[in-house]
Amino acid sequence: MSATTLPAPPRLALSSELMRISFRLLAVALLCVALSVASDAFANQANIMNVLRQSALLFFMASGLTLVVLTAGLDLSVGANIGLSACVAGTLMKSTGEPAYAVAAALGIGAAVGWLNGVLVAVLRIPSFIATYGMLWILHGLTYAYMAGSTVYGFPRGFRQFGNGFFLGVPIPVLVMLASLIALALFAGRTVWGQQIYAIGANPVAARLSGMPVRRRLMLVYTLSGLTAGLAALVFLARLNSAEADIGGSLTLPAIAAVLIGGTSLFGGVGTMFGTFVGTLLLTLVLNGMNLLQIDSRWQPLVTGVIIVAAVWIDIRTSGRKT
Amino acid sequence: MQKQTLLACVAALALSPGPAMANGETIAVMTKNQTNPFFQAERVGAEKAAAQLNAKVLQYIPTQPDSIPEQMSQFDDIAVKKPDAVVMVPVDYKAMVPGVEKLNAAGIPVINATDRSAGGKLVSFVGANDYDTAKATGEALLKAIGGKGDVVIIEGVRGALTAQDRLRGFTDAIKEFPNVKLVASQPGNYQRLQANQVMENLLQANPHVAGVMAANDAMAAGVLDALTDGSSKALVVGINGTKEAIDAIKAGTLLATGDYNGFLQGCIATTIAIRYLRHEPIIDSIVMHPVVIDKTNYQPYDMPVDKRSCPTWDEIAK
Repeated sequence: MSATTLPAPPRLALSSELMRISFRLLAVALLCVALSVASDAFANQANIMNVLRQSALLFFMASGLTLVVLTAGLDLSVGANIGLSACVAGTLMKSTGEPAYAVAAALGIGAAVGWLNGVLVAVLRIPSFIATYGMLWILHGLTYAYMAGSTVYGFPRGFRQFGNGFFLGVPIPVLVMLASLIALALFAGRTVWGQQIYAIGANPVAARLSGMPVRRRLMLVYTLSGLTAGLAALVFLARLNSAEADIGGSLTLPAIAAVLIGGTSLFGGVGTMFGTFVGTLLLTLVLNGMNLLQIDSRWQPLVTGVIIVAAVWIDIRTSGRKT
Repeated sequence: MQKQTLLACVAALALSPGPAMANGETIAVMTKNQTNPFFQAERVGAEKAAAQLNAKVLQYIPTQPDSIPEQMSQFDDIAVKKPDAVVMVPVDYKAMVPGVEKLNAAGIPVINATDRSAGGKLVSFVGANDYDTAKATGEALLKAIGGKGDVVIIEGVRGALTAQDRLRGFTDAIKEFPNVKLVASQPGNYQRLQANQVMENLLQANPHVAGVMAANDAMAAGVLDALTDGSSKALVVGINGTKEAIDAIKAGTLLATGDYNGFLQGCIATTIAIRYLRHEPIIDSIVMHPVVIDKTNYQPYDMPVDKRSCPTWDEIAK
């Protein structure tokens, strides 16, 4: 008898990336189901909108950071960048009364800091961990000196609408988040520049030898990381109507966590913007759930840690991911 | 930075034939961080007191906020540089005790401010009592909501002494009003953003909250932002008496804030240090009475810190 091979059974032609995102989405969906059952305050429009709006701030930080991590780098200065951008933009807006200046200042400073990081990493070839860690201290020092222990608060109503307003029933920060998610996902996944960024992360030597403008792409990702930090600073100002010197400190690690939970590898070359979005959702849902379920403050850090480790472990098991 | 030029001046002073002991004393002032306006007010108070009494102040502030190892090494620095006295706010009231003992061994008098140190030989303590302040502020809120309704507490950093004492003060105030129900007590970690998100989440589960007790003014501000979006009529109190809180009280959005007067603590602690060095009588423990600042009494607190002046000893001793 001839050994004929049967045709392979029809399979869904899903790429592995899509599979991993689906699993991660599944984790988020499971969490939502669990929370809806555990608390009747969860599954209503107001709460869902709240969760989405809260995750917007974290997402803006994490989105630019994703591009940096894709190149096997790290930007530890995003939190401090937000601090400086928000403080300068806030005081400018308070003294001139013009939100336009604040927007220009926040985006400008954010991008400038990012560009400086890019110079340190791409031109001076300082390892990104050290370069951005040093930048973090420089930014903190500048912010503390500038604010001198004071707080700036009380911004114009029109500007605050950016943080508090609704459009067609959806909070404005959520709309901006979705827009930037789509824009950055298209950039990373569908443009030549995006492909080059992945290549640089996956194999920097090959990328350089094949003629890719590695230095310019690295400068680009760090500048973008700084730019999104500036955007996050604006959302912060609009949402919380104030700025003080130490606002960014507690935001950096959650942003990095969101990127990594979302499936982007620290070693570069693997990951998606949508994955980061899911990672952001997961972290925000955990806080929301703990508040709704009234989990005692003693246990909250423990619960957060367990869920994060579990989420990444499930991801590793289901996708054969090594990092 | 500031610290280095001041140190240079002190070194020059030390080498030159010094002025008489009764003037020009150097007081080292140690605070917890550069970012909290409370400590900024305390530092300004210390400088004003020193200026009024003809002495000098050296500021020691950790570059990383609330860093225990950094403050420990500052204790070492001070033990070597030997200023005439030290006014100290410990980053951690238990962990800094070895540092205090080092100063004791070097023969430098230590005055403790704000957070009571768990050990070491201290000339005096000047501070407010977190528990009493929180309890008085909580009672003010509960009276304002008519003694009944649902109440939420936004806690500080779990594990910090101030947060534990303020939580106890709040909960004990609630115990005195049997018709008040504590529906949620969640941590905001003394951060505006976290308190904002926590309050948003809590409003989902408890839309009819009547009152919110926030363990500090930054969190109270975050809570107020969360409340302006919806239709909640909850009243809010905070603690610290910062300028932003006073403005909110003036505007009618914040009900009250517990006074935790950094400026006065800096003034008094430094005055005691200088008097001790001049062998004048001092008081070995000053715990300031809890004062709740609200619409009726906020005027004296409305002045910016650097325009205020320190009280004289007779005023303090009363």
